[in-house]
Amino acid sequence: MAAAAAAMSAVPAAAGDTVKIGFAGPMTGPVSAFGHEIERGMDVAVEAINAKGGVRGRKLEVVIRDDEFDPVKTVTAYRDLIERQDVVALVGSANSASMLAVTPLLNDNYKVPAICVHTDATAIIHNQAEASGRDNYLFRLGMFGSGQADFLVDSMVKKFGLTKIGLLTWSAGYGQIGRKELTRRLAELGLKPVADETFETGDTDMTAQLLKMKEAGAQVIMHYGTIKEAVAIFETRQKLGDPMIPFVSSWGIAVPALWKAAGDLAEGTIDSNVVTTDGPQPPERQAIIDAYHKKYNREFDDPASFFDAYDAVMLFSIAMDKAGFEPAAIRAALEQIPSYRGAGLVVDHPVFTKDRHEGYSLDDMLLGRWTNGKFLRVGYDAEGPFVMPSEGVKKHIDPTTFGPK
Amino acid sequence: MVFALQIILNGVATGAVYALVAVGYSLTFTGMRVLNFGLGMWVMLGGMLTYTLYVLWGLNIALAAPIVIVALTGLGVICERFTVRPFLKAGSEAWVMATLAVGLLFIDFAELIWGRDPLRVPGYLGQAVVRFGAFALYPQQILIVACTIAVFFGLDFFYYRTLFGRAFRAVAYDPEVAELMGIDARRFAALSYGAACGLGGFAGLMVAPITLVDPQMGTTLGLKAFVVPILAGLAAPRGILVCGLAYGVVEGLVSGYLFSGVRDMLACALMILILYFRPEGLFGAPSVERI
Repeated sequence: MAAAAAAMSAVPAAAGDTVKIGFAGPMTGPVSAFGHEIERGMDVAVEAINAKGGVRGRKLEVVIRDDEFDPVKTVTAYRDLIERQDVVALVGSANSASMLAVTPLLNDNYKVPAICVHTDATAIIHNQAEASGRDNYLFRLGMFGSGQADFLVDSMVKKFGLTKIGLLTWSAGYGQIGRKELTRRLAELGLKPVADETFETGDTDMTAQLLKMKEAGAQVIMHYGTIKEAVAIFETRQKLGDPMIPFVSSWGIAVPALWKAAGDLAEGTIDSNVVTTDGPQPPERQAIIDAYHKKYNREFDDPASFFDAYDAVMLFSIAMDKAGFEPAAIRAALEQIPSYRGAGLVVDHPVFTKDRHEGYSLDDMLLGRWTNGKFLRVGYDAEGPFVMPSEGVKKHIDPTTFGPK
Repeated sequence: MVFALQIILNGVATGAVYALVAVGYSLTFTGMRVLNFGLGMWVMLGGMLTYTLYVLWGLNIALAAPIVIVALTGLGVICERFTVRPFLKAGSEAWVMATLAVGLLFIDFAELIWGRDPLRVPGYLGQAVVRFGAFALYPQQILIVACTIAVFFGLDFFYYRTLFGRAFRAVAYDPEVAELMGIDARRFAALSYGAACGLGGFAGLMVAPITLVDPQMGTTLGLKAFVVPILAGLAAPRGILVCGLAYGVVEGLVSGYLFSGVRDMLACALMILILYFRPEGLFGAPSVERI
């Protein structure tokens, strides 16, 4: 039944019809900001493509479904999108559990390609199909769990020269997956975390955890969690006074809402991400940032979700231009794009290959340092790490405090 | 030693928050044998309202506090009338669901008005850390401890030194006999519910600078604070203060000396153990029934 439906959806519609790209994500509920940011990324890309005449003379169209961040509803929404709406490609939902639920459907039943954004669970891409050598319909633009841990640990150990690392992670799934990956990477480098602390949802005081970090001589706190508890960590850190232990986190909190909640307390803290909209930008990206502000008259909720969704649609259009509108052909063509200069991702090697469905590699990830409310990319030169508030101005940071040098 | 004292000091401040919220559970239980299971969301509403009054409108906190308390007390009286009393009258236990439903309604309502991102409320006595030697606290933490203690002293005074308070205890002891004595038990019920909601709002106002405010802030806090009166005994306000502070301290010490991951597990295990031996709570009087 599903296979028959998939076969039907694979029949190319008459020329002149729009070509549909689907997205099912949280459009209502507590995390709907991410759903809307992904939708905006898709919309801006589709507008740009259609303004130039579409793909092979056909206009693109975005079809949105609300999955309320609920994997069961994601599955239902994917059924609808693929069987009834005839979408030929999908931008992945904002929930890792949702994507894990639809991965076998996409690979075994529907055979429709999806580019994941925002979700970082490693297993979405390294799935059953990949393991058994079948065609893998799942791709990703954005952070992925194991890569992010490698990047965070390697940056601190190799670039900042810090080896006494204290882990401070959320006791929920996201934090504990991070904790496992960080511990693994540290072990690969012959290191052990000097402290390994957790916190619960809603914790407001981190005195015990931070005192233990200090006693253990941690040079840096490595965090996996959410904004609210991160602010509690900042407050306690300030309370316990100098010397404050430097703080670095996964991209979970690297959004403008962090500064809104923490203000100056976040000054000098560092997070990983794949993109930042603050500080000097390449002209292509600046043009899109300006277009976003003009079209929506608002600030970004999550720049990475927007840019990755934008790039996902752009990559689909490149693949369709080359291979047509049949989902399996689009999938195959995604593995053949030789290089890409996009809004978020800029690579001069193939974006995806048969064996690598992660668009971002460790080289494409970045650290951002919160500086006066801006999330500024950390660069390196002979003098060490620095941030660039405006073109040509380098402000070096002390790798042992993350403060100004 | 410094390590332990630092943790204990901050634990007391955390525990004061639990105690302050916990009073709300005790008040309605004492006044009408009802628990407001959505109390955490009243705390949230108090915090959100504080954000609007104090941060957005720039009102003085001395003005914002009474507004929050009066507004939520009034809303509490209304909610009692329409979501609790009808069920009590009908002898139904559906008020359990109704109090929770009102709380869930508040979350959606708050998301519509204030959005979902955590919002910041600056401390009412400033943000400068207060240091004594090796120890440090935020002024807001000291203020919370002071206010919590004041609330408990006030409550004690009310219960034992005022006629109104004695009447309140009489209703709690036996509403039917109290009615025969000329006390309007129904009005006391409405008042105790309103007062609990108003106090919840006040707790929200006090914790806002420490926790950040967002529509979900009441869920965990309401649940944790619920442990305190269960441990202490629902009708034992002095015990609630002691247990609340102790709960905060034990949490800190477990995180400090064992592992933060086992903290909530240990707390729950301890609660079950205590209730096994003292079902009426540590400070509750065993209820004697004459047959």
